[in-house]
Amino acid sequence: MKGSTLAMNKNKFVYAAFLAIAFAATLSACKDKRSTGLEYARNMYDPIALNPDQAVDTAHVPSFKGHAAQVPPANTKPVGFTEYDDYPNTKEGYEAAGVSMVDPLPVDTVNLAQGKHLFNVFCSPCHGEKGDGQGHLVKIEKFSGVPAYQTGSSSRGGNMVDLTAGKIYHTITYGVNNMGSHASQILPIDRWKIVMYVQQLQKGQ
Amino acid sequence: MRDISMILKSVWKSLFMISAISVMAVSTVSAQDAKEGRTLFKAKCTSCHALDQKMVGPALTGVSDRHTEEFLLKWIPNSQALIASGNAEAVKLFNDNGKVAMTSFPELDETKVKDILAYIKEGEPKAAVDPNAPKAGAGDDTTSSLSIIGIIAIVVIAIIILVILGRASKLLERLILQKQGIEIEEDVPLKVGVRKMFKNKKFVMFFILCLIIALGSWGWMGMWNTGVHTGYQPVQPIKFSHELHAGINQIDCQYCHNGAFKSKNATIPSLNVCMNCHKAVQARDNYDGEISPEIKKIYNALGYDPETQQYDKSKEKPMEWVRVHNLPDFAYFNHSQHVVVAEDAIRKAKGLQPNEPVCFACHGPVNTMEEIYQYSPLTMKWCINCHKETDISGQKNNAFYAKVIEAHEKIKKGEKVTPALLGGLECGKCHY
Repeated sequence: MKGSTLAMNKNKFVYAAFLAIAFAATLSACKDKRSTGLEYARNMYDPIALNPDQAVDTAHVPSFKGHAAQVPPANTKPVGFTEYDDYPNTKEGYEAAGVSMVDPLPVDTVNLAQGKHLFNVFCSPCHGEKGDGQGHLVKIEKFSGVPAYQTGSSSRGGNMVDLTAGKIYHTITYGVNNMGSHASQILPIDRWKIVMYVQQLQKGQ
Repeated sequence: MRDISMILKSVWKSLFMISAISVMAVSTVSAQDAKEGRTLFKAKCTSCHALDQKMVGPALTGVSDRHTEEFLLKWIPNSQALIASGNAEAVKLFNDNGKVAMTSFPELDETKVKDILAYIKEGEPKAAVDPNAPKAGAGDDTTSSLSIIGIIAIVVIAIIILVILGRASKLLERLILQKQGIEIEEDVPLKVGVRKMFKNKKFVMFFILCLIIALGSWGWMGMWNTGVHTGYQPVQPIKFSHELHAGINQIDCQYCHNGAFKSKNATIPSLNVCMNCHKAVQARDNYDGEISPEIKKIYNALGYDPETQQYDKSKEKPMEWVRVHNLPDFAYFNHSQHVVVAEDAIRKAKGLQPNEPVCFACHGPVNTMEEIYQYSPLTMKWCINCHKETDISGQKNNAFYAKVIEAHEKIKKGEKVTPALLGGLECGKCHY
């Protein structure tokens, strides 16, 4: 008798353990990192206006072809847009920019400080904080062949140290060789601040 | 399972060491040249050339087979002069590669060019890239998940063994009792036992109490967490690792999310920003010389052909990233207001280190997130608490507060103050 009750207790223990594990499993399944969890009034989270980085229902706006981000219509330009058509992405455009473009901003500590910040964010990963071509990405061998501003030679002729403001601006805008165009990331006014700072680095300051 | 993989790993490692040493021993004869050449190649050539992929210039593996050394010795230091002199081979090479003029390298003398050619012939020294490194890291990850599965399996097996043993011992007991001639009553089935238990009023009360507590707390927690997406980590269309880009590569947040510092929206970078680096960086070392499948997704979305380096607009297909941080439409949040105007105050309030970007205050240690997830709850309480506690006094150089103080001074003096002075003409005050 006693033995059989013990066995029954053991059985119960087994069932209880099983239940506990099943319970824990169900609970942990509730915290699924791939889901947003329980939501009330989801429609409040979804904007009525088009969400710039999300897909658009083609039935909603057929002409948008499924995405909200659109190129401006032909022959229009956004407010505050600086045109740069006079200096195309060619060798001639580069040389022309080098001759006739000048930095519109006065060289002062505020502009230089901003230029330094922007340079460190957008340029130093490859060009190095001193412009010596030894940025972090070069040091860890992800990128190579980055010329030093002070001692390197330009792939479009001449020495890096002799590059004029217009040539540097042209390069930031269109890119050259392995360097991509940074026009979409850096506003024209900010590009000039970077140019100002790069010209300081060329002198080794 | 783990043991086997460990053994395999060590065998592989020793094999690798032996082969590396033998390769090094064989190649030491010409190593000096190639090593020097590698340094020169990295410094002078890689902005336009790679060994096994077409970049601005053609892929260079086998260049010594395509052209004579005599020709290359003239071409590399000054290709333009060679073309101008009317050399047929030079003109053909120039025309075949899109008439892109190659930089002149007058500083490369004969020995230097020969060093570079020696390096190109020999290729990238294999010992420089350790194929074990990324694999070992991945292995560790799988073992941690494996060990959890293992523990669960052990528990399940233990339970099964317990059940079997229990049955067996009961059977044996019954057999012994039967042998002794003692009749035993049949075992009470579980269902009857449970039914009996529920006839006990005290037990029923206790059971109901437990149920109420459990359901109540579950419901309470559920209500508090409704619409709170902390820890939300959706699967993204590209396996983009912030740990690699922001952590190991130390690229500033602003390089890609450049809207955060000048607009309301932090912006998800468009794919041309990816291409600034990934035109050249293709992670071929990790995929047996093939382009990484994840980087290929960028190319496919842009209609970019890495062979010809041309974009085909008709093949464009936008990347559909899954939004992680989603404020309700009725809540206004401005990134630049926080990361530029309030940077110092937020840094002080959240105790950020000077080398950490201010973004970490709300987005957490992004440089350690292999997959991005929502770090902060983004609830109204969370916003309000921070706005209650953050100290914004003593912001001398802050133009925003300077303007506020200026307006207050005017009000004190009784001068005319218009909403326009307080920024009332900003479009976003009404239209957002």
